[in-house]
Amino acid sequence: MLKIKDLHTHIEQFHILQGVNLEVPDNSVTVVLGRNGAGKTTTIRSVMGFYPNMSGEILFQGKSIAKLPPYTVAKQGIGYVPEDQDIFAGLTVEENMRVAMRREDDTTLERQEWLLDLFPDLREAWKRKGGHLSGGQKQMLSIARALVNETPLLLVDEPSKGLAPIMVEKVMEAMNVIRETTTILLVEQNFIMASQLGDYFYMIDEGRTVFQGEMQLLKDDEVLRKKYLGIA
Amino acid sequence: MELHLTLIFNGLATGMLIFLLAAGLSLIFGLMSVLNFAHGALFMFGAYMGTWVYILIGGWNSPWGNLNFFVGMIAAALIGVVLGYLVERFTVRQVYGNHLRQILITTGVMLVVAELVKVFWGPNLIRVVQPEFLQGHFLVGDVRLTYYRVFIILFSTMILILLLFMLKKSKIGVVVRAGVENSQMVQALGINIRKVFTLVFIFGTMLACIGGYMWGPFQGQVNPGMGLDLMLIAFIVVAIGGLGSVAGSAIAAVLVGLSEAYMAYYFPPGSLAVNMLIMAAVLLIKPTGLLGAGR
Amino acid sequence: MKTTTKVTAYTNPSSGLNPLRIITWQKGAWIVCCLMLFAVPLLITKNSYLFLLTNIFIWSVFAMSYNLLLGFTGIISFGHAMFFGIGAYSLALTARHVPGGEVGFILAILATVVICFVLSLIVGLLSLRLRDTFYALITLAVATIFVIIAEQWRSMTMGNDGFNFTASLSRDLFGFINLLDRRHVYYIALIFLIGMFLLLKRFIDSPVGRTLQAIRDNEARAASLGYAVLNYKLISNILAGVMAGLAGVVYAISIRFVSPDSVLGVENTIDVLLMTVIGGVGTLLGPIIGAAVVEVSSHYLMGLANIHPIFERWVILFGVVFILIILFFPAGIVGTIKQKFLSKKKGVSS
Repeated sequence: MLKIKDLHTHIEQFHILQGVNLEVPDNSVTVVLGRNGAGKTTTIRSVMGFYPNMSGEILFQGKSIAKLPPYTVAKQGIGYVPEDQDIFAGLTVEENMRVAMRREDDTTLERQEWLLDLFPDLREAWKRKGGHLSGGQKQMLSIARALVNETPLLLVDEPSKGLAPIMVEKVMEAMNVIRETTTILLVEQNFIMASQLGDYFYMIDEGRTVFQGEMQLLKDDEVLRKKYLGIA
Repeated sequence: MELHLTLIFNGLATGMLIFLLAAGLSLIFGLMSVLNFAHGALFMFGAYMGTWVYILIGGWNSPWGNLNFFVGMIAAALIGVVLGYLVERFTVRQVYGNHLRQILITTGVMLVVAELVKVFWGPNLIRVVQPEFLQGHFLVGDVRLTYYRVFIILFSTMILILLLFMLKKSKIGVVVRAGVENSQMVQALGINIRKVFTLVFIFGTMLACIGGYMWGPFQGQVNPGMGLDLMLIAFIVVAIGGLGSVAGSAIAAVLVGLSEAYMAYYFPPGSLAVNMLIMAAVLLIKPTGLLGAGR
Repeated sequence: MKTTTKVTAYTNPSSGLNPLRIITWQKGAWIVCCLMLFAVPLLITKNSYLFLLTNIFIWSVFAMSYNLLLGFTGIISFGHAMFFGIGAYSLALTARHVPGGEVGFILAILATVVICFVLSLIVGLLSLRLRDTFYALITLAVATIFVIIAEQWRSMTMGNDGFNFTASLSRDLFGFINLLDRRHVYYIALIFLIGMFLLLKRFIDSPVGRTLQAIRDNEARAASLGYAVLNYKLISNILAGVMAGLAGVVYAISIRFVSPDSVLGVENTIDVLLMTVIGGVGTLLGPIIGAAVVEVSSHYLMGLANIHPIFERWVILFGVVFILIILFFPAGIVGTIKQKFLSKKKGVSS
């Protein structure tokens, strides 16, 4: 679905990504792991086209999307859930969804209904402003917003960050449904969530891919987890 | 009492005219964070263009005077669309993301457009009169209401309602409001924000040109100094109302219009100082302006 | 690595001396330039040329002070002419109302320095915390208020008409300066320019000046490194204000007339903005070149107005040039030449 080859990204004078290689197989959940500041968010944002001065190759369904502007990347069918959700605070839940809709036709509205069944909290808060939502509701809205169009690939940046455990559970349940139809690239610090959802993992450290494999491998290897994640 | 009612009426008319100028400025500022120093000059160009057409086709004295007035208005709107497109496409678009260069380049555009007015129409003022059906006044109690001011208030209120409705209900309106908050996220949702920028710039310039055109019969003349004077007032209105908020601009414009009307009666030279004080007071209490989104 | 540099230095000693030679060559050029300028009044006796050169010097200082804000601090002011105007009005008013040339003259300078200092401090404190666009707006508004005051306070300023004070200018200031002699005024302006240039150069190279440029390039980083960004911006704001005020004092001596339009109006700020951008934002020499280009060309274009009235609209030409420079040569004349020169040198060495 997505292939990243030797990705280098500079932000101002800092060389943040120094050769990230990554492959997201179709119909899988691939998790990117690593310490704070390792370059996980920058990787996702590079895919979205936020850094036009990056170098390297990014292939989506076999086509190069490197250096395309963000709106074109999104139009290819890539949904983006940013780290801080970036909900439009002055817009209602309904309007937030509407901004994302490429067409307001029956198919899209059906998808919206499906997403609202998936996140019943959003249906309840339908007319409420984005700024008045709880953290969990914001996260749900951000995911739903990214999926309202036909979306083969979903990029999710730390969905569990700052959420109450009950909310993390709800989000995880929903992701388990979403994965049936959508390939997911997930950045996650919460290892419980990462290990339960993930099929494959990539470990990024100091801007490079340092380790990769099937999730089971990491579940079994405590030494590895300690080394790169600092958790047992 | 009549005095105050008259002043309030005048203030409303002035305020609603300023609103036409400020609304576009506010949207442009809010969405693209471009402080458009050319806005006043574009407003003036619209005023001259519309007035010129109005007079050219016979003006207020011809039997078609009433119609002529609206033809002039359409001419002003059209030139607004053309100028808005040209200015955005060839100058402002080249320097998005760099505040300093944006201010500089729009200042350059201001110089050129303001001088073009003098090239085309000379450095002297041009007299202009409202069409027949808007001349004269009527009395409500002892308060004299001139038809033209009533027209300004009704027309601008209609524009305000239309604008608010568009922002609330149309897809482009929702996108603009989202873009004012976070244009990067709008892009990440698959929308080419540059196209939205261009549209908003054109629309804002068009509103300013219509406002400039209506300002002519209001003052009885158009002159090459009107751009800069009114631009400063419009900036103050935008700052008071909150960047990117149309409703905020409307409230602030009426507030400033009222202060202009009262100061014009009591102490004309002090009107700018009072407007500045209002701005300072509002920004001290709420730095984002009356209805501005916190950013 | 270390040894290689040593070897080249040894085998080719002239390359090691080269930078030194450039510096002395440059210094020499400067001194020759200054001497030539000092010699001008001996060669050119036509007053109108001296007047033009004098005004170029004065506007150079005014533009240099503006460049301190725009080029070295990264803030844009639309009210800089208020300081210039305050200086000019100070001199004009003291010349008219205070008898005894020296007393009035010193009083004018003192008043200018004090008022400009306090005003720039207040305006800076009020607006420098806000986003950069607000600074432009607030300076424009405050300057407009000064224009209104000058227009309305007729008993003091003669309102819109302004006033001429040629008759009250001293003929023997401190016993040897005749303010009515164009040559004397020329020397005052030239010495003023050289003094201010050296002062500004000192300031830019000082730790404060370097910090200012760091803030201009990346404010967030400078702030995170612990620099009190606001204080540095205030210093530059005040220095620029006082410098512009002093330029106004000398300008009043030169043109012997003040009015809101000629020294205080926003047109004057736009003129220095043009000069700074055309000459080269953020370069020391740029404003001087810019002032010369704008003053000389507007002088001659205005003269052409007799041939065709279109030349009355010469500002349009400046506007177009200004836009083109911002789009294609943002470094201005001096900056672009510098870049060309530097990249050539790089190309040769590599």
